[in-house]
Amino acid sequence: MKLKNVAAVGAIALVTAIALSSCSSTPATPTPTATKSSAPTVDLSTLSGTITAGGSSAQANAEAAWTAAFTSVATGVTINYDKSQGSGGGVTNWLAGSYDFAGTDSSLKPAQVTSAATTCGAGGGLDLPVYLSGVAIIFNLPGVTKLNLDSATIANIFNKKITTWDDPAIKATNPGVTLPSDPITPVVRSDGSGTTANFTTYLSQTQPTLWPYPVSTAWPVTGESAQQGGSGIVATVAAGKDTIGYADQSAVGKATQAAIQLGTSKTYVQYSAAGATKAFAAAATAAPVGTGDLSQSLDYTKITGAGAYPIPLLSYAVLCTTFKSPAQAKLTTAYLGFVDSANGQAVSAKNAGSAPLPTNILTEVAASLKLVK
Amino acid sequence: MSETPAVVSGSQGNDLGGTTKKSSNTVNRPGAPVGGSARSIRSKSRPADRIFYGFSTGAAVSIMVILAGVALFLIVRAAPAIAANWATDPSLSTGATAGHHTFWGYVAPLIWGTIFVSAIALVIGGPVAIGIALFISHYAPRRLAGALGYLVDLLAAVPSVVFGLWGIFVIRPFLLPLTNWLNHHLGWIPFFSGTASATGSTELAGGIVLAVMILPIITSISREIFLQTPRLNEEAALAMGATKWEMIRLAVFPYARSGVVSATLLGLGRALGETMAFALIVSPSLIFSLKILTDGQNSQTVAANIATSFPEGNALQRQALIGTGLMLFVISIAVNLIARIIVTRTGPDAKTRKAKATIAQLPPSDPSSVLAVDDVLSGRHSSPEGTARA
Repeated sequence: MKLKNVAAVGAIALVTAIALSSCSSTPATPTPTATKSSAPTVDLSTLSGTITAGGSSAQANAEAAWTAAFTSVATGVTINYDKSQGSGGGVTNWLAGSYDFAGTDSSLKPAQVTSAATTCGAGGGLDLPVYLSGVAIIFNLPGVTKLNLDSATIANIFNKKITTWDDPAIKATNPGVTLPSDPITPVVRSDGSGTTANFTTYLSQTQPTLWPYPVSTAWPVTGESAQQGGSGIVATVAAGKDTIGYADQSAVGKATQAAIQLGTSKTYVQYSAAGATKAFAAAATAAPVGTGDLSQSLDYTKITGAGAYPIPLLSYAVLCTTFKSPAQAKLTTAYLGFVDSANGQAVSAKNAGSAPLPTNILTEVAASLKLVK
Repeated sequence: MSETPAVVSGSQGNDLGGTTKKSSNTVNRPGAPVGGSARSIRSKSRPADRIFYGFSTGAAVSIMVILAGVALFLIVRAAPAIAANWATDPSLSTGATAGHHTFWGYVAPLIWGTIFVSAIALVIGGPVAIGIALFISHYAPRRLAGALGYLVDLLAAVPSVVFGLWGIFVIRPFLLPLTNWLNHHLGWIPFFSGTASATGSTELAGGIVLAVMILPIITSISREIFLQTPRLNEEAALAMGATKWEMIRLAVFPYARSGVVSATLLGLGRALGETMAFALIVSPSLIFSLKILTDGQNSQTVAANIATSFPEGNALQRQALIGTGLMLFVISIAVNLIARIIVTRTGPDAKTRKAKATIAQLPPSDPSSVLAVDDVLSGRHSSPEGTARA
């Protein structure tokens, strides 16, 4: 009886898959680059089920693009990524066992690694890099379209030490630009955020004396205009005058971005996807907390190579090494395998403005995913 | 439950006493038979009646159970964070709770912010809401009144996140000139002091949007109560030569008083708990601040703080946030209790006193005036019970 049911379900799934695939092949598929050759081991079209995930809102646009591309091939799969949770909420829910994987802007902390062992069994969790982008410094100064900022000036502006736009420090790096004498209004996050953690890490590493605050997901300086969400910052910077803020590249839209000092040099770099990839390659060193774990520690002071963007932002997918159901493990690894393929990275680069992860990381992720049962 | 009508009619009888027999009869007549018939039906106890009795009792009990459940959830979840040592606990020294050495030090500015911004909303929104209600019930032509009432009710259906976005893109830039003007000319008043905001992300903007959000609640209820003012009272006031405003002041307001207070309380409840709109519009700080025109010195509210800090919070921080929610729960109950006490303390007694004063001003010899006063009086006395039931 049970067997019969399974067979029937299988037959229905097969028929549906065939029907849907024949359907989807005739009209123009939305992401043609993603459809071919992304399944070296698993035939995606035979998969079915639901992946439940959530966390980092920085990843959200990329997750949406990956989901669209993945499900256009794996038609039986539904992927729900809840971005309202934020990185911390994603990890908390994943530790509670309600997510297949969590998206987070910071790898698991020691306490979380410990509780992951309870959730996932002895193997614990895996941090896999999936999303590389950059923190943009955006500003709104009427008449000013190009602005060079060195790391000391950025730290001083966001620490309220530099308070007017015609400050000598800003003038020095922007010869020929007419800067108003208006007060600077820094716009920061009011909610906890992985973007804030990345940005404050950058500031405390490059300017430890000017930026004495500990790295935190909560913005450490009080008395500034604090807005909810990256989109809140972008909207406020755009609507205000003499404003400056920071946001993940995927949220920035058409806002004007400042060029940022490369290392300690006199070179100023605008964001580019290739620049973020270069920066990641230079700054990242593996800091594994277990077998197969690919946590990276970023040293922002090492980003000195030509064209590298000084504030890269890395985001992870965190999943168990041992799933409760093998089918779910197969499904989740298939999806993350696609995400961390050249195709997957191209999809997010095109649709979410992210930077492709270096190929050596992609190879390592593929190897780590093989460990997941 | 079944005894309530009897109690009500009894108290009405007592209140009215011997002063106004004529009118007390007319007031009681519609109420009395209903109470009597209800009792007689219950004594027969038909199945449908028992089912309905069970259903309505169940509904009443479920409210108590839900409320108790919420309170229990809050207390159980909040207890570890309230009991934790905030000065030394490593999971509380990072993120949103960093720099707070006790739970009470963390929650106190939030409570202040909640009450402060709700007060702003009430001060701005309350009079406008009552004005709208009065216009709809007593000034507007009938057709316009209907349309206007419908529009106000529609306002209640707008999701708060939409209000939040409207606040960001419309109200904030709209208020900037006013912000600068107030700051420049009236900056010596504590509310308007500080560095004027350049983004418009101020407590004032949040308060104004909250005021708009509580408008429909206060307006709808006040309007219904204004409309229930006995026609006889109004006509009597007009007949005695009162202008329309005097009629409203003498006949409508005293009658509607406790209902309007209840409506305002419901509006206050909404303002106390409003989350999304405030979180989107206002740039918050966890401080005790009176300033309403700055970027960096706006007091944060409990609800908005939970919304912004919960996602990135660790387990203990989340419990701390639930603890702040518990405090909000306690405040809401306290505010309701205090307001009810105010209503009952100042309600009937104060009204009787005022009514007597009114009578003293009227020419007592004129029989028609005396009758009119009787009507006004009876209307006032029956009103609190009537609105309480409604």
